Amino acid sequence: MKISLNWLKEYVDLQNISNEEIISKLNMSGLEVEDVVNQNEIYKDFIVAFVKEKKKHPNADKLSLCTVDTGKEELQVICGAPNVDAGQKVVFAPIGTLIPKGNFRITKAKIRGTESCGMICAEDELELSDDHGGIMILENELKQGTPITEALHLNDVILEIAITPNRPDALSHIGVARDLAALFSLKFKTPEIKLPSSHKKIKDSASVEIEDEINCPRYSAKVLTGIKVKESPAWLKEKLKNAGLRPINNIVDVTNYVMYETGQPLHAFDLDRLSKNKIIVKSTKEETFFRTLDSKERKLPAGTLMICDGEKQVAIAGIMGGENSEINSSTKNILIESAYFNTSSIRKTSKILSLTTDASYRFERGIDPNGTLYSAERAAQLIFEISGGDILEGAIDVYPERIIEKVVELRLNRLKKLLGYEIPEQKVKSILKYLGFEIAKENSGSLVCKVPTFRPDVEREVDLIEEIARINGYENIPTISKINITLGEKFDELEFADRIRNAATSLGFFEMINNPLQGEKSASVVGNKIRVLNPQSADMMYLRTSLIPGALSVVAKNNNVGEKDLALFEIGNIFNQKNLNSAINSFDDFIEKQTVIFLVSGKSSLKKWNSDEKNFDFYYLKGLVDSFIMNISLDNVLNDSYYHNAESIYDISFCKSYENTVLGSGGKVKKEVLKQFDIHQDVFCFEFDVELLKKIPVKEKHFVEPLKYPKIVRDFAFVFDKNISYEEVSAFIKKSGSELLKSVDLFDLFESEALGGNKKSMAFTLEYFSESRTLTEEEVEKEFLNLISSVTKNFNAKLRGN
Amino acid sequence: MLSERIQQIHTEFESDISKVSDLKELENIRIKYLSRNGLISSLFDELKNVAKEDKPVVGKSLNELRNHSTNQFNVLKEKLESTSSADGEKIDLTLPGVTKVLGSKHILTQTLDEIKIIFKGLGFSVFDGPELESDYNNFEALNFQPDHPARDMQDTFFISKDFLLRTHTSPVQIRVMNSHQPPVRAIMPGRVYRNEAVSSRSYCMFHQVEGLYVDTDVTFAELKGTLVSFARQFYGEDLNYRFRPSFFPFTEPSAEMDITCYLCHGKGCKVCKQTGWLEILGCGMVDPNVFGFVNYDAEKYTGYAFGMGIERTAMLKYGITDIRVFFENDLRFLKQF
Repeated sequence: MKISLNWLKEYVDLQNISNEEIISKLNMSGLEVEDVVNQNEIYKDFIVAFVKEKKKHPNADKLSLCTVDTGKEELQVICGAPNVDAGQKVVFAPIGTLIPKGNFRITKAKIRGTESCGMICAEDELELSDDHGGIMILENELKQGTPITEALHLNDVILEIAITPNRPDALSHIGVARDLAALFSLKFKTPEIKLPSSHKKIKDSASVEIEDEINCPRYSAKVLTGIKVKESPAWLKEKLKNAGLRPINNIVDVTNYVMYETGQPLHAFDLDRLSKNKIIVKSTKEETFFRTLDSKERKLPAGTLMICDGEKQVAIAGIMGGENSEINSSTKNILIESAYFNTSSIRKTSKILSLTTDASYRFERGIDPNGTLYSAERAAQLIFEISGGDILEGAIDVYPERIIEKVVELRLNRLKKLLGYEIPEQKVKSILKYLGFEIAKENSGSLVCKVPTFRPDVEREVDLIEEIARINGYENIPTISKINITLGEKFDELEFADRIRNAATSLGFFEMINNPLQGEKSASVVGNKIRVLNPQSADMMYLRTSLIPGALSVVAKNNNVGEKDLALFEIGNIFNQKNLNSAINSFDDFIEKQTVIFLVSGKSSLKKWNSDEKNFDFYYLKGLVDSFIMNISLDNVLNDSYYHNAESIYDISFCKSYENTVLGSGGKVKKEVLKQFDIHQDVFCFEFDVELLKKIPVKEKHFVEPLKYPKIVRDFAFVFDKNISYEEVSAFIKKSGSELLKSVDLFDLFESEALGGNKKSMAFTLEYFSESRTLTEEEVEKEFLNLISSVTKNFNAKLRGN
Repeated sequence: MLSERIQQIHTEFESDISKVSDLKELENIRIKYLSRNGLISSLFDELKNVAKEDKPVVGKSLNELRNHSTNQFNVLKEKLESTSSADGEKIDLTLPGVTKVLGSKHILTQTLDEIKIIFKGLGFSVFDGPELESDYNNFEALNFQPDHPARDMQDTFFISKDFLLRTHTSPVQIRVMNSHQPPVRAIMPGRVYRNEAVSSRSYCMFHQVEGLYVDTDVTFAELKGTLVSFARQFYGEDLNYRFRPSFFPFTEPSAEMDITCYLCHGKGCKVCKQTGWLEILGCGMVDPNVFGFVNYDAEKYTGYAFGMGIERTAMLKYGITDIRVFFENDLRFLKQF
């Protein structure tokens, strides 16, 4: 909200306090100043000047050559505006002036060969409006040389303050002034209202009836007759402009002015357009249509709180008036509405209509129910002052049940317990009084406070504590340098994920973080996707069902920028609906779980001066997955399995299982899937279910003494039928060997014409040793020969000669 | 005489070997002096002509010559071999070595790790919670009243009437308090979602770290002390700080914490919008209404809570100006950290 410092000074005497102090105090009390526009600073170099002479520019048709009298000297200035003319008083920017729009400095310049010593300005260049139709032409009485800060009253400081949703009272100049008074311990005053008397009584010319008392607890109104709708006086227009509002006419401007002054939204009806001079506040029983004063036809659902006259709807309560009762230039008699509406009713309607106005913004946060009459009278007084007419005697004030001040007790020891320091009782009382809290009763150690109704956010003791802490300054709360640490059980639910990340990075993978919100294509690759009801865009409409599609998108993006060789991993949550046709109404309707994906694509090693390049392939992935599970100490616990499923996204794939539970799967991604993602190179990936991995009991590690006795190593190679798998053979060897055979390693594999088309050769290295003694060559040789004969027999294999 | 010959050959050998610069020249020395037909062997042949009584002395000095020159030869051979390849050619030591690719954690993970280490050191546990949350945990139990404008502070992606993508990590506070009795001291990192237009400064998804401490005597002063300790460990010891009042429905009183802008050291610059301050987190004392929702005795217990954005923290620390770069996963970006 824009707050004018000049305006604030009408309620609190800030004369002896610097702007910096004011801004700093506001910031430190919860009214965050987001921007400061100091007109005195911005406009300090601009002056009023007189255009003494205007000639055509010798080299440009659209430019004028002006002689400008600055009061001190006469300068030659080139001006491009069509409306510039001799005899005008204008806003002049001498050389060196910083122009607000575009933030550039005026220098002596040659324009089309002719020198120009300054600039005659338009409104937009001063950021006074968007108008760039021509230069500003000023009142002729103004004297050349006068600074415009003085001549145009551009001497305000405008603060842009971010008001948090709990502070509706601060959505007004009076509200901000009250805080400042408390912060600086200054006197605070609100405008006094003195209305002229009238012979006509208000009750003879208008009446108000509330049908829906729940949503409209109070409706106050004043009536003025014989007013004249016209342009507002300069002071009013200036104030509204500084608050960021566009002046419209004197009546509307006053209602806006009072709203920015007191926080009470007002609406002025043309009384003669109200049928039977009557106001009825009621909620609609069925859907209706209504044309608001912005000339838009709006559909209103049943239950919308409306202001009606004797026969029709005239305004959407608290949000916007209707075209049919709007003030216009011929309006003579007006009714000023100053009401209090239920906050959630206004919010609901504003949400449904997607229509937020200055009024609805305040009503839905909560205005002062006991301030309506004051604001109506304040507006009546101002309208009377600037547009004449007659303020009818009395007020209409329908207020069936008065909303009374809450009473809250503040215990001083509680204040200390929560904040960690003591504030003297005198100071506490003083702060409360400044903020408008009445101390109804003083007990020993506690104060019973009456909360003013303009502070709907203060309901409990803790709210009072905040008020005191905030005004006394958070900087006065000590910053302690010792804490107690509880020696209880400590948890780290993210530790396992950390271990996975450490394992992955040690294997050369880079971590990615993808957006779990995806488009339909990505979310449909696997699983049962969950839809977002209010997506931002079509490509963020679903939650990811797997980490694979996101990872594939990353491959495509990287390939596009020339990064072809990738080893990536991601650990993150995936979301699947349990039953496709039912909505998500409980945590049982969907599964959210953490998974990790490993992906490799391109070259595993580049061609170097001493080595050849290598591509990532299926076995590379398999090895990486094995290294990974070794790193997290799950080797020897998990099993591999291989199956082919036509539905799978993989051409060839493998799974890792624990007992009978599949923990993860992966393989070489099908070309058709890659094509969907616009990827033109092989991709291998593997996704693990982290929650399942986490549950597998890890064998405790025990120290094993390094071997003291020598190993004996033997190699052999056999020719097998091609359909015999490595796993069958290695399992058979392990099973057939004695306990002295400790490891079996495949070190060579080939197929060739010479072996025969359906044959292959596999060569193994066998390691024999004992933990308790040195083996003899003879016993190993005997075992080895036995093994050769059983492999030969079992697989009908042929031992290859050395 | 033989002993003179020995002396002479010794001198010659010393002179010759001192000039040797490669293995080939050294081999010539070997042939000349140490081979079967070399000069030293031939001296041994002459030993038989020496008078018997002189033999022990001359023989000893001849042996000494042989041992000395063989030793010299071996030392030099080893030295030359270690600097040249077998065939005696010089090698290029400037050729690049064989490197291994080291992977890395995402910079957001690294930033979170740093934050985690600090808080674990202050006695905090670490808890996790789901991203698809109930409206109850995300809003209601955190004292966001239905139909209150406070809900507008966090634009929400809804999944259904009662379920949504959590807009902050604060619902994990509710989960932790529902499952643990005080004292509770924990941080709760995680991913959150906001239905905000994507730009260089905001993204529809980001990460937060939530903190919570509830016990019998937790004060605002302790909140300040703890967070200042964190900020000094994370951003640097010499920083200045301030706490400004703010509003969050689940804390009362609430505050925002600013630290001196690390770029301009408080003088005012573009990053801190000329204020000299950078906002790093929101915090406050747990609202008694929240204790009501988790059945904690609000008279007996007090607590504080805080929350900070990890992206923002990393952007400040590493000078990243566009939040989207975190989620593009361009390898050229990932490899930088």
